[in-house]
Amino acid sequence: MTMLATGKRPAPGGSTVSRPARSGASSVGRPGFAWALPATIFFALFALVPLAAVAVLSFTSWSGLGDPRFVGLENWETLIADPVMLKSLWLSLLFIVLGVVTQTPLSILLGVWAAGNQRNRAVLSAIYFVPLLLSSAAISVLWRALLDPNFGIPGQLSWLFGDGNLLGTQSGAIGVLIFVGMWQFTPFHTLIYQGAARGIPHVLYQAAEIDGAGRVRQFFSITLPQLRNTAITSIILMVVGGLTTFETVLILTNGGPGTDTTITAFYMYQEAFQSFDFGVGSAIALVLVVVATAISLVVVKVSGYDKMNSSLEGL
Amino acid sequence: MSNRTWMTRSLAGGTALILGMTLAGCSGGGGGASNRPENELRLAVYGDAGNTVEQAMVDKFNETSDVKIVLDTIPGADYQTKLQTIIDTDSAPDIFFNWGGGSIANFVDAGLLLPLDEFIEEDPQLKDAFLPSVFETAVIDDKAYGVPMRGTQPVMLFNNSEVLKKAGIDAPPATWDELLDAVEKLKAAGVTPIALGGGDRWPTQMWFQYVFDRVAGEDLFQAALDGDTSVWDSEESREALGKLRELIDAGAFGTNFDSVKFTDGGSPALLASGRAGFELMGSWEYATQQDSDPAFAEEVLGYSEFPAIEGGEGDPHNLAGNTNNFYSVHKETRYPEEAAEFLKLMYSDEFVQEQVAIGNLPTTTNTEKFLDKAADPEYAKYQFDLVQKAPHFQLSWDQAYPPEATVTIHTAVSQFFSGDIDEDGFIKAMQGL
Repeated sequence: MTMLATGKRPAPGGSTVSRPARSGASSVGRPGFAWALPATIFFALFALVPLAAVAVLSFTSWSGLGDPRFVGLENWETLIADPVMLKSLWLSLLFIVLGVVTQTPLSILLGVWAAGNQRNRAVLSAIYFVPLLLSSAAISVLWRALLDPNFGIPGQLSWLFGDGNLLGTQSGAIGVLIFVGMWQFTPFHTLIYQGAARGIPHVLYQAAEIDGAGRVRQFFSITLPQLRNTAITSIILMVVGGLTTFETVLILTNGGPGTDTTITAFYMYQEAFQSFDFGVGSAIALVLVVVATAISLVVVKVSGYDKMNSSLEGL
Repeated sequence: MSNRTWMTRSLAGGTALILGMTLAGCSGGGGGASNRPENELRLAVYGDAGNTVEQAMVDKFNETSDVKIVLDTIPGADYQTKLQTIIDTDSAPDIFFNWGGGSIANFVDAGLLLPLDEFIEEDPQLKDAFLPSVFETAVIDDKAYGVPMRGTQPVMLFNNSEVLKKAGIDAPPATWDELLDAVEKLKAAGVTPIALGGGDRWPTQMWFQYVFDRVAGEDLFQAALDGDTSVWDSEESREALGKLRELIDAGAFGTNFDSVKFTDGGSPALLASGRAGFELMGSWEYATQQDSDPAFAEEVLGYSEFPAIEGGEGDPHNLAGNTNNFYSVHKETRYPEEAAEFLKLMYSDEFVQEQVAIGNLPTTTNTEKFLDKAADPEYAKYQFDLVQKAPHFQLSWDQAYPPEATVTIHTAVSQFFSGDIDEDGFIKAMQGL
């Protein structure tokens, strides 16, 4: 699913469709509404209908036993007065910002490096992409064991980690989650940047060399600007990924210490499936949808993603 | 397109939540016995290594019965969630595994369970064959809703006897002062006095259960459970919290316990490797240690009752932990008579013998004669004796309260231990239940 966003859409009015009809081509025509039907049905069935159901449930009290009972705005009043809810939103935001800030520079550097043709590059890249193949749950269990304060890495490097109480303090626990997220997702974004960096026309670099630009200058004046649209795609994926982060929190910190890493998605799970309060759980889910939509709109507006001008204009 | 893709992803959280609900909610309410399959009883149990014995019992029952029992094993961590999701639908099990107390209280309130008193009238053994302190756990509003199955799992203070010896501690502490004394000696010997898997949170809760019981007696918690939340603010409650704070401040648990877990082997390894002196844990500590190092479990691992607290109101022989597992029967079952017949197997010699052989400790009156056949007879006898003579067996707090209280309790106990909240904060959290 994540790959979809990077897929190229057919250029509007592009050459293949608008070309004068050859044999049979006219009977194909432009895609009609029927073409979108399968996707629309699935989207309605698995996203819109449940969304509506969640909206209804958020006004009920339901533990899974018996029928949901309408309670009006009670769940919403609970949430507004709930300090954990507000804290979880700030934490989610913090996770997104830290995730983007740590993963983006690393992915760009690695992706540009991996796009070259150095010796051993293919082998090293292949090794580096391994985390991409592991499930989030497996990665979390792995790091949980590696970070045991007595028998894991912190136990061996006490000069660096002190007593190794990484998951027992808020800053430590957030640091661990950000680090594990970086370890897990950087390869994926590296892959996106690698593909994009390979698409940059060589003539640009050749021209720059003639003008006497060094490698650093080439990177900042050619590579980075050319990767602009890719970066926006990648950052949007990171934002969405950050908002829906769940397994790593569940396995690594269980929202703790206390509620110090209880991000909104995890809080939703806790209320619905551990406390069996599906009403409040649904209300949190709706908040998540609203916040996510708002962030998405802002990113799209600010970045000019909706216009999506080609970075190759004029070439 | 990118927008829609994005929307789909952003909705994923909500969608996952709802999918579960639509599936669960469709048939809410249940349609009575006639909607259930004919000649079939569904039996739901917690999925783990113990399922072999349950399957054997089912096979034995099916040999002679026209109504056949079908065993559904549900993977452990998801058991309560799955049960709560299906219990009020037509796919609810007829008979199901539970922990008594809070784990079934909501079902009783919703009128979903069959009181077993009629069965007991017909066959008094269904009650009398079990230890009373255990049977009581599944009695709600004076009606019996569960018959004990599997075994009892009291919490005990385990120790590494070699570490204690090296630190100059001759015997496990019998009193709170001796425990504090042992903590000092172990610190001087350079080890963490007490291993604690604080990352799991429920091991932290075990300390509260015992200290509250020893200081205030079993009535305080029972009163709180019955709705009188003022008891959390009582003098005894504050005294118990003071004792715990004293122990934490003495450095008994070290500083990094919140990063350690029992479930991934962190805290048992501390004990086994000699880097900690004690661990307060359920009786399964023995099996856990045995799995990784049989010689350590047999020769070095020691165990004792939780220390008495001087001047406290609780009986020093009171226990806390998982009193037992139970089978309860769904009200809508089509075949209550057959279900009763199956429950009678739970006190049969054959069942008890097989449970003992796989390391469980059933709480039937006939258990004692099979203890010689246990994996470690000495350990089995010690435990059985504890349970038998215990005036009160306190079900773990997170099991005594209904499931919706678990997160609050676990958060409060771990925040109190880490120092994030003080006595007032803890009292406030518990009063909010």
